[in-house]
Amino acid sequence: MDMIWLGLIVGSFVSIGAYTVLIGDNPISKITEHLYTGILAGYTLAINWDFVMKNAVGKVQGGQFDFIIPIILSLMLFTRLKPEWIWISRYPVALTVGVGMGLAMRASVLSDFVGQIQGTLLPINNINNIVMIIGTITAASYFLFTTKYSGPYKYVNQSGLLFLLVAFGVTYGSTASFRFELVIGRLVDMLRPDVAMYTYGFLVLVAIILIYGYTTKRIPWYKGR
Amino acid sequence: MSIIKKILDMDQRIIYLGMFIALAYPILSPVILPVAIQDYSTQAFNFAVSIPDGSYVLIEGGNAAATHPQCGPGLTANIYHLLTKQCKLVFFSITAEPAYWTQVEIDNALAKLPATVAAKNGVNWVNLGYISGGESGVAALAADIRSVVSKDHFGKPINDLPMMKDINSAKNFAAAFWWGGSEGSIPYGIRQLVGPYNLPMSGSCTTNEVPNYSPYVSSGQLKGLFGGIRGSAEYELLLKVPGPALAQAMATNIGGLYFLGLVLLGNILYLTQRLRGEK
Repeated sequence: MDMIWLGLIVGSFVSIGAYTVLIGDNPISKITEHLYTGILAGYTLAINWDFVMKNAVGKVQGGQFDFIIPIILSLMLFTRLKPEWIWISRYPVALTVGVGMGLAMRASVLSDFVGQIQGTLLPINNINNIVMIIGTITAASYFLFTTKYSGPYKYVNQSGLLFLLVAFGVTYGSTASFRFELVIGRLVDMLRPDVAMYTYGFLVLVAIILIYGYTTKRIPWYKGR
Repeated sequence: MSIIKKILDMDQRIIYLGMFIALAYPILSPVILPVAIQDYSTQAFNFAVSIPDGSYVLIEGGNAAATHPQCGPGLTANIYHLLTKQCKLVFFSITAEPAYWTQVEIDNALAKLPATVAAKNGVNWVNLGYISGGESGVAALAADIRSVVSKDHFGKPINDLPMMKDINSAKNFAAAFWWGGSEGSIPYGIRQLVGPYNLPMSGSCTTNEVPNYSPYVSSGQLKGLFGGIRGSAEYELLLKVPGPALAQAMATNIGGLYFLGLVLLGNILYLTQRLRGEK
């Protein structure tokens, strides 16, 4: 049997189960939710285990003994499992956070601050650039809380608010579109000609189970709005 | 209760059912609407075109199960495009799940390639697989690949791969593509590849993240940006290699129209209710 095809059929059933949460919390949606969480946790553990074995333990076995240090630091993280030893785990956590912060800070001043300011230094020769410059300045000035909103500054502040609202609208529209795309991604696989019959079958099966559950009151009907 | 109040208090499950039909119908009966190609996609495509033939290109594959249908076709088109330019591709993923999906996308691209295009593992492309450590992992990989990984996704020692002979840091690459999915990791690439190594980079993300990363395109830190299904569909159109993204983009259009209709209807009914003095 083709494993990809089998995966699509199982995926179809799990997707229908997961989407039943839209009707209300029910045992089928809970099963699929727990199934997904469990599989993903197991997969992530396996991938990370493989990474550590290949790139840390393997290197120590190959004679690169400096890799013993990260292995010891990783093992120290597991001391969180015993409350009296939690303090030991703080050292690798502090090191990880410190290195991460240091690396991010090193480059973020240039990329997120200087780079973005440079990106606003545009010639005032077309409408896009003018909107960009005015939008950046007024939106940034909206967050100046030390000045009273009166006189000409009031209009700068209100223009900034307007630009921010437009930006929130764009973000909202994009988020809605992203959610459609998630559903579409599943539907494309579920409605493939070689999978569609199973999808319809699962849909009927799930509907029967839920109707039985709701009519016999074994599953409480969700009324919240 | 007035009809307006009844509509405004409609059970949300009816709206979900309508949305389901609006999204499923175009998949079952494809509808083709015109696609206007966005500037960000054109810039990203032109950037890919401008990479000299035969260059080494670094690609981060960040599409997971949820984002693979949206951004996967775009990455597939990108791999197809670069391999036809004889570029040498090095893939990596900074989260566990996308490591699998990146290989799926590589396989999809290889299946589409004409037999005349060289696409041998270890010679034309290498998948380093999962790199742990998030942004720190990216920084370490950019500085010294062998300090982070010793074996590729398939367990082969990278020192045995002919393509990796002269490659060990970000300095050895001509360009980078960051297919971040919804990881939110594009800034890692900007901070650890573009800034320190001046490596020109283009990005891809899900639709909801486009507003977050578009300022990087405006500032020139990203050379272009493919966003979600639409970005993937536009890459397929620009490359003239039709793929699955175009049909999905049509379903997004219908879903978007349904959503827009609901927003307009909701606001009109709400205003009418207010004008009538109803609560």
